[in-house]
Amino acid sequence: MEVQLPEVSLRMMAPELFLFVWALVVITFDVVTKRAQGESVGYLTMVGIAITGGILAITGEGPGFGNMFYNDPMAIFFKIIFLGAAFMAVGSSFGLTKQKIVNHRGEFFGLMLLSTVGMMFLASANELLTIWIGLELTTIPLFVLAAFFKDNKLSVESGLKYFIVGAFSSAVMVYGLSFLYGLTGTTDLLQMKLNLATVHLTFRNIGVILIAAITMLIAGIGFKLGLPPFHQWVPDVYEGAPTPVAAFLSIGSKAAGLAAFAKIFVNGLSAFHGVEMAPNDWGKLAGIVAIAALILGNTVAIRQTNIKRMLGYSSIAQAGYIMIGMVAQSALGLSAVAFYIFAYMFANMGAFAVVTAFEDKTGSCEIKSYAGLAKTSPMLSICMTIFLLSLAGIPPLAGFLAKYFVFAAAIKQASLEGGQWLYWVVGAGLITAVFSLYYYANVIKQMYFSKDDSPYRVGLQAPAMLVVLIGLAGVLVFGLYPEPVLRFAGEVPSMFGFVSP
Amino acid sequence: MTLDVAIFFISAIVAVFGATMMITVRNPVASVLYLLVSFAAQAVLFIQLGALFLGVVLIIVYVGAILVLFLFVVMLLNLRGGEDLGQPSRPMSRFSKYLIGALLLVELVFVIRGSAGGTDQTVTGMMGPVVETFGSVQDVGMLLFTTYLYPFELTGVLLLVAIVGAVVIAKRETEREAAQKKQLVEERGHSSEEKVS
Amino acid sequence: MPVSAFLVLAGVLFAIGAVGVLISRNIIVLFMCVELMLNSANLALIAFSRALHVVDGHAFVFLVLTVAAAEVAVGLAMVITIFRNRETINIDRISILKW
Repeated sequence: MEVQLPEVSLRMMAPELFLFVWALVVITFDVVTKRAQGESVGYLTMVGIAITGGILAITGEGPGFGNMFYNDPMAIFFKIIFLGAAFMAVGSSFGLTKQKIVNHRGEFFGLMLLSTVGMMFLASANELLTIWIGLELTTIPLFVLAAFFKDNKLSVESGLKYFIVGAFSSAVMVYGLSFLYGLTGTTDLLQMKLNLATVHLTFRNIGVILIAAITMLIAGIGFKLGLPPFHQWVPDVYEGAPTPVAAFLSIGSKAAGLAAFAKIFVNGLSAFHGVEMAPNDWGKLAGIVAIAALILGNTVAIRQTNIKRMLGYSSIAQAGYIMIGMVAQSALGLSAVAFYIFAYMFANMGAFAVVTAFEDKTGSCEIKSYAGLAKTSPMLSICMTIFLLSLAGIPPLAGFLAKYFVFAAAIKQASLEGGQWLYWVVGAGLITAVFSLYYYANVIKQMYFSKDDSPYRVGLQAPAMLVVLIGLAGVLVFGLYPEPVLRFAGEVPSMFGFVSP
Repeated sequence: MTLDVAIFFISAIVAVFGATMMITVRNPVASVLYLLVSFAAQAVLFIQLGALFLGVVLIIVYVGAILVLFLFVVMLLNLRGGEDLGQPSRPMSRFSKYLIGALLLVELVFVIRGSAGGTDQTVTGMMGPVVETFGSVQDVGMLLFTTYLYPFELTGVLLLVAIVGAVVIAKRETEREAAQKKQLVEERGHSSEEKVS
Repeated sequence: MPVSAFLVLAGVLFAIGAVGVLISRNIIVLFMCVELMLNSANLALIAFSRALHVVDGHAFVFLVLTVAAAEVAVGLAMVITIFRNRETINIDRISILKW
């Protein structure tokens, strides 16, 4: 029997393979040194991520394993985001590994790296099976990381909740994928697109099963992204999980889910552009979910007293904004999505780094405890303020541009024929953005306009300082000079081949 | 009624019965055993659909390994039926959950029947004959080690992650580790007392 | 036998599993319901493979089985930890967090 392998190029997979090996090195290093190394495990991890970034920069584009692994501009852009999020999450968890995680530092950082490897594989996947396994590889280490404080009831509980939701959603997703496979007879996204068009032209009645598949997949990925009505786990897990893990979750796993969404929906199911069966069938469903996320995230966040829960609800709302770009189903929309996640990464990781440092020092996550912080730790308060304002979308910070591009993409698409419903989504986004100002400003108000001085003086360790500085630089520089990122983000949809309506 | 139809209906009824009993009985051990029955029936259906290799794999992996693991955990935690299940706390929400499930079921069946009522002959038509090797070990193995080699290797990474994760979470702390941790916590408690006056 | 009969059965099993996830209060039973859902998806995949006369679905199922095994390992480890912490695996009692 003749054996024929697809075209394999390990060179294209070099960053992933290196990071995978590095994760094992980190775990082994911790064990071999009898877990006595304090911070060197963390530094080792950061060095590994930095080297991976360097390898990624020289890898270039091309197929790694037939069409299943393909380094396109979108993959590279998302990999940069994943590596950045992992770097910043590792950097802000030094205090944690010093105080709480004493015996399993190597596993903590190693699992974070392994999760990043999963995200990177996902970003390059062009096939349903690989996308699904990539998502699993992303989330299974995160279940463990969320439950990492074994003797802390909150942490274990949040890990368990995340696990239940994750396992349930992956089962729902496989069921949806099985329908897609049954409809098209292939798992390859490109082939699927072609087959769907043929199937649609041949049979009239196939729409029902496709809609079922779309619903299942939106539910499955919606769970991972924390979109309503599948959002209940988000604030709980953010509150219970170790703070850097929550930060990593909010960017890494979200970006991974969005990459999967973009691949399956915007690329794979875009065959219906311009075909009579309503081109935007999934778009409308996803649009409703996005509106729900915007309203729910932004209103419930106002009531929160715990800053981690507040950031959890805010992340639901941010997912809603990102979905606006997604449902525009245009090249412009996808670029806007990529830029949004990029800008969101700096602000959110920065804010979480400050929250982590504050929690390490005071043991509290209540918004009340931030009262008067500006007087004792002025620099930290300024940083936090800038991050929160960027999250709220205030010019001239990067968060403002991100929101602007997303809305612009949706409005442009809405002005085309049959896209009027997008105005509703944009309207919901604009109105709720005003609400969002309130709860972000609440934290700032606590820090600056409280009568009493804070009893705490919060300093930053060197790695956390680095993380905050990276966040600041990202938010400010890309807010004022976004051209290089925009040019890169503009290339993101280049492999998608949009059919103009 | 041909043999084919009889096999399908018997297996289907057993599978659904096992699944229903699994979620209704109170004793976790019985639950695991009912799931075993359901999976065994599903394995028969797999083989009927020509997936000989996967039918056997289902028995070996699920029944032989995963369900034994479930049983092992149930025994380890020494759970008996009913003792820890308390009162159904919120009857209303419980009802609504059943309702959601029922709606889901109706929707699924209608969707599948609806599409089947269409023109797609591949699904509604009687199962035609397939080539003899369809679903054999050689057939599936060939595919797994050529076209799907890459996801196959990825699951290897996934299994490694699962091993590391499961060990980290389930492992008890040794005395040395506990002592080390206690010492650190004390140091920390000491240092966090120095507040700014 | 039409293949659609198998698809309907898969749908029924999937719904039973989903209901089980929603109503069961024992975490172990809840995990088993997820396994049932995954396996009903497997049944659908195999049925579609048979209908389409391609074996690709079988490779899919094989990998789904592997991933399910990995998931169960992590999940059961978590159950053991939570039982050590709380002496309960009743889902209603594990709710310090608001859910």
